[in-house]
Amino acid sequence: MGMGIGWVIIATALAAAGGVLGVLAMRAEKPGRAAFLWMALAFGAQLMALGWRGELRGRCPLGDVGEICLFLAWSLTLFYLVTGSAYRLSLLGVFTAPLVVVLQVIALIPGSFAAGVERAEVVDHWRETHAALSVLSYGALALAAVAGVMFLVLNGRLKSRNLSGGLVQGMPSVQRLVQAMARIALVGWLVLTAGIVAGLFMKSGSMNIHLIVATITWVLYAVLLGIHFVRGMPGRHLAIGLTLLFILSLFVFAKL
Amino acid sequence: MKLVCLGLNHETAPVEVRERFALTEGGLDREVEMLLSAGDVLEGVVLSTCNRTEYYAVVNGGSGVAELEEWICGQRDYSGPREGVFYHHEARGAAEHLCRVASGMNSMVLGETEIFGQVKKAYQRSLDGGATKAVLNKLFQKAFGVGKRVRTHTAIQEGATSVAGASVELAEKVFGKLKGSSVMVIGAGEMSRKTARALQSRGASSVMVTNRSFDKAADLADEIGGRAVPFRGWEEELTHLDVVIAATGAPHFVVKPAHVEAVRRKRKFRPLIMVDIAVPRDIDPEVGEIDEVYLYDIDTLQEMADEARKRREEQLLLCEEIIREEIDKSSLPTVND
Repeated sequence: MGMGIGWVIIATALAAAGGVLGVLAMRAEKPGRAAFLWMALAFGAQLMALGWRGELRGRCPLGDVGEICLFLAWSLTLFYLVTGSAYRLSLLGVFTAPLVVVLQVIALIPGSFAAGVERAEVVDHWRETHAALSVLSYGALALAAVAGVMFLVLNGRLKSRNLSGGLVQGMPSVQRLVQAMARIALVGWLVLTAGIVAGLFMKSGSMNIHLIVATITWVLYAVLLGIHFVRGMPGRHLAIGLTLLFILSLFVFAKL
Repeated sequence: MKLVCLGLNHETAPVEVRERFALTEGGLDREVEMLLSAGDVLEGVVLSTCNRTEYYAVVNGGSGVAELEEWICGQRDYSGPREGVFYHHEARGAAEHLCRVASGMNSMVLGETEIFGQVKKAYQRSLDGGATKAVLNKLFQKAFGVGKRVRTHTAIQEGATSVAGASVELAEKVFGKLKGSSVMVIGAGEMSRKTARALQSRGASSVMVTNRSFDKAADLADEIGGRAVPFRGWEEELTHLDVVIAATGAPHFVVKPAHVEAVRRKRKFRPLIMVDIAVPRDIDPEVGEIDEVYLYDIDTLQEMADEARKRREEQLLLCEEIIREEIDKSSLPTVND
């Protein structure tokens, strides 16, 4: 494994550093780009680690728990880097980094990365696309859930009139968070849609259990986002919905 | 050659003395002219705001603060007490004082920014009138640089220190930028005017005013460039609003949960911030239980303003350090000689 696992360790350390620096900046009421920069470095290390696993497998590295966790952490970081700069959500890094660290720590547990992996002879591109897009969508949906948690924290503080401290000062506005939650979740849902469509073309042909669960998840997100965009709903309901849906779907997939 | 500063402000002089020494814009030019013709004064700048009148002068060696004070009191025909009313600084002390003034550290509202522009204007008038030369030119340029550094490197101007400012801060926490937001003011008193003005200054574009007396609402609406709305039926406007400020003298709740509940669907559950600055309160606290409503009363706003003031005061040491450091490294004539 050698240097390959080394990249996972480096990515984990960088994400942890990003989280810690972000918290320190927040406490000093000077939220800056510290977390963003460290997460960008972590993203680079994740790419190297994924490259290592992809090279071993000769296909998309989504064959074991370690690879799925690593891919999910990479996807989460990717969406954070895109969204964090677009929405100037400096504190999102503080909330994202712990989740990235947890995922990568799971990947680092001995046995998570299967040893003696055989290089694929034949690759089903639809299957690869389905798996990659599904995990990628989970990165976006995870980030929407993270933004949801941020919203719940800010909303709680604003409603209880507990307004002092760097946490509230450094947070984006309520409206911006609602916008970010909804748009990130929408992107995740669209990617998931593409993933499910790709799944329908897989060589095995039949609707396996993963695809059924993915479709149920897709429907639930569609209902939540549909209500939000068409009828409207309080930000707190959207935040709770996105957080619960993500946890629920992750739990179901883990069980499967 | 000596740099001196002589003045009085809100901390040293009561308003009846301050108004005696206050100068109009036209009066300022004459005052500077007369100051220079007074004898030993080589350069001069006079600063006059609602809370202070200060003279910065470069005088010949033999002359000093006492002579300047005598001349100023003579000009104003002032025979009242002087002890503790006037303050004076010389050389480095005068330079440091000007830096403090330009940084807002000496203002009634600590850290306020208006003073910076007022000092600039006073200097510009003297410069245009040929009343400043090497010493005051360098000193004022330095003070402007220090003022900018203090404001960018410390939190001296952070946080709202007034109820109106705190309302704006809260609205921005909910909406981010207030550009294009709609505001309704219920009640047409002074606090309503101040808060509406503060929100407008941050970009609120549509301001509606409602009041039991429609004439009063119309007057305030005219003054602030808003629209008066009849008190009967004000709640119909809730559908489009982002911020509601309530400041009536009513002895009972004016805004009730039912008013908001009735328009939630139409509003698509958008956030609504409600600021109740009335005592007794105008907004039923139960309105704050509605998910998308953020309700704040006068106590919360006052607490925020007090905290901001405290935080600004904590920055004073850091500001003083910056001023000392900047003056140390400067080569201002008559200051570090």
